[in-house]
Amino acid sequence: MKQWVLEPETEYRFELDPNTSLAIKVRSSTPSEPTPQLAHGQAEVFGAELAEGKTYLFGTECRAAVFTWQGCTLEISRPSTEYVSEETPMAAYANVHIAFEQMRVRALRVVHGSPASDDDANANAEPPRVLVLGPENSGKTTVCKILTNYTVRAGQNWSPVLVNVDPSEGGWAVPGAISAAPIRSPIATASPANPLGSAATSAPTALSSNALIPLSYWYGHSETKRNPVLLDRLIRNLGENIRQRDDDDPEARVSGLIVDTPSSFASSSSSAPDNRHTLIKACVDAFRINVILVVGHEKLTVEMQRLFGNRFTVVKIPKSGGVVELDHGYRERVHKYQLHTYMYGQKIDPPPGITSAIVGGEAVADLVLSPSSCVIKFGDLTIYRIGAENMAPSSALPIGAARMLSEMQPVLVDPASSSSGLLNSILALLAPFNPDESERYDEEILDLTVVGFLVVTSIDAPNRKMTILAPNQGSLVGKTALVGSFDWQE
Amino acid sequence: MYSQPHMYGQVAYAAPPSYHQPGPSAYSYQQPPPPPAPVYFVDPNSFRRDYAARLAELTINSRPIIQTLSMIAQEYSKWAEIVAQCLEAHIRRVPPWIKLPGFYLLDAISKNVYDPYTRHFTPFVIGLFLETYQQVDQATRSKMEEMLLTWRTASPTGKELFGVIPQLAIERGIWGGDSNPTGATSGQISRAQVLSELEFTLSQKERALQSNAWDTTAQRHVQILQQLRKLVEAGVSQDELRQILTQLRSLSQAPQPAAPAPPTTTTSYQYQAQPAYPRQTTQSAFSPPVSQHSSSTTYTSYALPSINQPKSEPVDSASLLSSVKSAAVPSTDIAGLYSALLKAGIVAGTGTPVGAGATATSEDTVTSSSENMSRDAARAYRQSVLSQNIRLTNADITRKRPNIDRLLYDRLPAQCKQCGVRFSDDTLGKKEMEDHLDMHFRQNRKANQSLGRGHSRSWFVDLDDWVHEGRVDVKGKGRADGPRPTTNKAALAVDAARRDAELRTQFVVVPSGDEAKSLSCPICKETLKTEFLEDDEEWVWKNAVRKDDKIYHATCYAEAMGSMHTLASRLRQDTTSRSRSGTPDASRATPQKGNSSVRSSQSRSPDSKRATLKRKASIDDCSQSSVKMESNGTPPMKKMALAP
Repeated sequence: MKQWVLEPETEYRFELDPNTSLAIKVRSSTPSEPTPQLAHGQAEVFGAELAEGKTYLFGTECRAAVFTWQGCTLEISRPSTEYVSEETPMAAYANVHIAFEQMRVRALRVVHGSPASDDDANANAEPPRVLVLGPENSGKTTVCKILTNYTVRAGQNWSPVLVNVDPSEGGWAVPGAISAAPIRSPIATASPANPLGSAATSAPTALSSNALIPLSYWYGHSETKRNPVLLDRLIRNLGENIRQRDDDDPEARVSGLIVDTPSSFASSSSSAPDNRHTLIKACVDAFRINVILVVGHEKLTVEMQRLFGNRFTVVKIPKSGGVVELDHGYRERVHKYQLHTYMYGQKIDPPPGITSAIVGGEAVADLVLSPSSCVIKFGDLTIYRIGAENMAPSSALPIGAARMLSEMQPVLVDPASSSSGLLNSILALLAPFNPDESERYDEEILDLTVVGFLVVTSIDAPNRKMTILAPNQGSLVGKTALVGSFDWQE
Repeated sequence: MYSQPHMYGQVAYAAPPSYHQPGPSAYSYQQPPPPPAPVYFVDPNSFRRDYAARLAELTINSRPIIQTLSMIAQEYSKWAEIVAQCLEAHIRRVPPWIKLPGFYLLDAISKNVYDPYTRHFTPFVIGLFLETYQQVDQATRSKMEEMLLTWRTASPTGKELFGVIPQLAIERGIWGGDSNPTGATSGQISRAQVLSELEFTLSQKERALQSNAWDTTAQRHVQILQQLRKLVEAGVSQDELRQILTQLRSLSQAPQPAAPAPPTTTTSYQYQAQPAYPRQTTQSAFSPPVSQHSSSTTYTSYALPSINQPKSEPVDSASLLSSVKSAAVPSTDIAGLYSALLKAGIVAGTGTPVGAGATATSEDTVTSSSENMSRDAARAYRQSVLSQNIRLTNADITRKRPNIDRLLYDRLPAQCKQCGVRFSDDTLGKKEMEDHLDMHFRQNRKANQSLGRGHSRSWFVDLDDWVHEGRVDVKGKGRADGPRPTTNKAALAVDAARRDAELRTQFVVVPSGDEAKSLSCPICKETLKTEFLEDDEEWVWKNAVRKDDKIYHATCYAEAMGSMHTLASRLRQDTTSRSRSGTPDASRATPQKGNSSVRSSQSRSPDSKRATLKRKASIDDCSQSSVKMESNGTPPMKKMALAP
């Protein structure tokens, strides 16, 4: 382990190659060996503080940074790439956080009915509902994570809802899904497979951010332009449910929400501005956004100010120099890690010489999961695809053609058909339809939340059976699932 | 008022704030120093040095210190011998007035970790206890007696913590004679012994009353016990002492009502709730007593495990019903005892009933004071945040120096050494940190208990449950998502019953032609029952599992594997930690790839326990018609570990 002494407000950045891992420990003072006051460790990874003396593991091509406000001493094994940077945007992010805290305490004061003091009599009493926009590789997800972590660290029982509408990221679910989860403890960083914490398992966990309860919808593709109409609807569903939740619990509402978005919302090249604006507007409406943060993109800031400047604040925040350009291959591998982690949990082998360490704040043993593989009859599970498989682009349609229908149309997928494309597909298992027949409606399937994800690992057409890898042993008989365009093979 | 929870000790620590035990002066508030940081040790010598150094700080009855030391002991159970040596040396060395905290640590480690520690403590516990008992003052003695009484039933199986012989030896040593009133040899029973057992039972009852102020039976018990105490203090005959003692024993050992929760809590939502420790302050009405209760159960697996259950825990009606029945038993016992004494003319029937109002009022006071406290804290935080002059503009954000150190670090000086989460050092923050440490404690313990059991990703929750997660309860004060369900006997029993039921639903399809063949389980030698499954149109062996081409009872097999696993994993832990190789854990939880064609017809997901209570629209409800499995000999399936 090599020792690094970090000056105040600097960060140690590292990148890992595939199949390598990294161990980081904040030097602590033991009773027998007191360390000088200065080197007293206060280090955080994307806003989550590291406990002194604990050895933290990072793996699966993790690229992250350990930042310190007051300086610290770190002991670190050898990563693939490492350096210390003195230029970080953390001061700006901290200012944004403080501004959000001001909004929260004002909103809470109103809920409590306490009298206003002079300094905030005229201020807006809405909690921050933040949309984070930015181009590719600008560190949007990291900004969301830092702001969320600072919020839960305030010791005020905040539980902000973190929303991920970037289907290529997956959040707590798997790529292809968009979801939301209330966060109550700092989100640890250990691997790109679960950048926003992990969904709950049957294992006991120390941090609630490793046992999150997400609300998830299945979009099924990584590209937002593939079916923007569907994405629009799912975003509105997500927003509607968060609103209901807020109505149910006014105190929780005060914590606000933070929305991470796909880079396609920001890039003018990949989609027509109409499309982008439609989806951004969908987010603004659905989540009742009152702050837009634009990460390091002047033009987009101006564009957003023009669109929304009269309604709420649009602020540009600096981009971190530590952001790494991620190529297509890397993203593909991260998708694989994510699904593997969803099924099998997280296993990071410590670097040589490290015998006891924690991953994302948890004991390593508790993160290993056993999925269930079972053979079911074709008829046991009903599988749909939303929209025709090979849709012509909108521009190819006659003007005024009923595009809506085909994009939102559930198409039954027959596993027996050789062209079903089901083998190795990721399926989203849906919550049951409304048991009350009179409450059922045509497009109900679009509004069903996801309860879990499955993979079709083999198809036995002659016997009309298929093998399904499921996260646990729950029965699949009589359920409905959706297929998208994501495949996965072990 | 909040000073008590900082101290470790059966009564002081488990008692709700409104608890009115005589002699509160003994519990004057002492500020616990921040728990020292756990460090990773590779060699036993540095571990010994460090543990001894940390023990030296245990000079006051501070729960955080005891918890930290106990957690370290748990983490390093491979060096139990060192911990035992350090602890014994510590207690022997320190002056009498600081010996008790050492004993509390011994108590905490023994009850929470149990094995291997009790094995290491047993050789010296008799001598050490009696020696210490001679040296300490009367107040400490009664504390030690109280602790000793809890040891009677504190082992995981409900037996004596250090075995029956040491228990009796210590009891004889301090009370003299034959402490067992029903024993064949009838020795003298001392008044002191009866009194301390009486105090013990009384405090249990009073605690029960605290957690449910409207429990009239408990009220009557407390009242009668108080009169009994007066009686014994005044002096009664040997026979009566013996009679009282016998009754007291049966009382304190009788099963107690599980979770005296109001019926409304049974509707609390069920999902894989993570407890959200920061939330705890907002559940105000019952929060202080409840959370302390729940924490006390982590320490005390004795006598009254279930009374202290958090109210938010779902209660199934069956266990409620049975608990009501069992609650009736002690009531007749104690009433019988009392009436016998009454008849004998020893007691005058003049007790005025303890009004429920008194207790309720004091609880309200607690509520409002804790509410005020969190309001005050919120106000202080608001002022601190609003005093920072930052507006959400490009200029302000990039040019100003944030005063973030204050908000995230300085304001929150106390830090959890396990996960780095910080707390303020005021009363509220201390309480939150305690709850937080309790949460780690339960989690550690739960993780140890579930070692070797496969874990799996849970299904996401229903939309309804997600939306209503934060729903306030009927009283509008507490929240539905209280602390994580605690591990106590009641919960374990429910868990065990559920697992048993699940095991029994497993079956193996009888190969065609073998329907008439009788087969017996290699473990219990009893015949496996066959049954015809309508849905699958196949004969199956019920409660059966196939392993290595043998068919076992699923329950027998699980039991056998269970004991093997504990042993094996312990061995594995020992060897791997010595050889410094990789993670010992992977082998334990990776899926077993076997040729088992067995499948449970129910999900083993952790929510299935809750599923029995309420499952509106879950994935499990169609599982009655089980997935049809391949018959024998077809390609193997990847299976989740069925081992316990």
